[in-house]
Amino acid sequence: MIYNINDKFEESFVIFKNTHQNFIQLSEDRNPLHTNNEFAISKGFKGIVMHGNILNAFISYFIGECLPTKDVIIHSQEIQFKNPVYLDDKLKFTASVSGVYESVNAIEFKYYFRNLEKKIVAKGKIQIGII
Amino acid sequence: MNSKEMLSQIEEIFHDQLDDETIILTPETTAEDIDDWDSLTHIMLVVAVEKQFKVKFTSNEILSWKNVGEMMDCIKEN
Repeated sequence: MIYNINDKFEESFVIFKNTHQNFIQLSEDRNPLHTNNEFAISKGFKGIVMHGNILNAFISYFIGECLPTKDVIIHSQEIQFKNPVYLDDKLKFTASVSGVYESVNAIEFKYYFRNLEKKIVAKGKIQIGII
Repeated sequence: MNSKEMLSQIEEIFHDQLDDETIILTPETTAEDIDDWDSLTHIMLVVAVEKQFKVKFTSNEILSWKNVGEMMDCIKEN
């Protein structure tokens, strides 16, 4: 097993306008919180709030493209949204190996997304299998 | 922990992983007795059992289990 407890990984992500628009096209979620600036501000936000599930797409990229090997599959994924993410926010993603289950070739990661203010915007766990 | 308590904790794990509160485990229960006990569920069950009982199994141990009772024996031996 090439993964060990506490192995750490880092990536940076930005939600650009086209990321946001592509996600809307994919999900068809045009809720005004995500698309109407005035509405979002009236609800106490700084502007339109990015769909939380865009972050799940970043996790997909991390698992599929950034790990040392490609022979991986996601078993499960948990996410908690802690703070809003806005257009053009730069996010730092950190993940560490929190569990190694050699008997079933499974690895668990704990991860955090933080914004430039170092606030946690989302966190959770991912379990992958080595196929 | 006695066998009854252990079986009860494993049963809770099965309820959670299989989203089925009606599952009743006995030491003789096998994968054939539970409809949704497929290969991915098996992985999730093993990981949950390892976490719950703070044990580490080997792949050979897992392959040798014929029923829940043999899983319990393995937990006790760990």
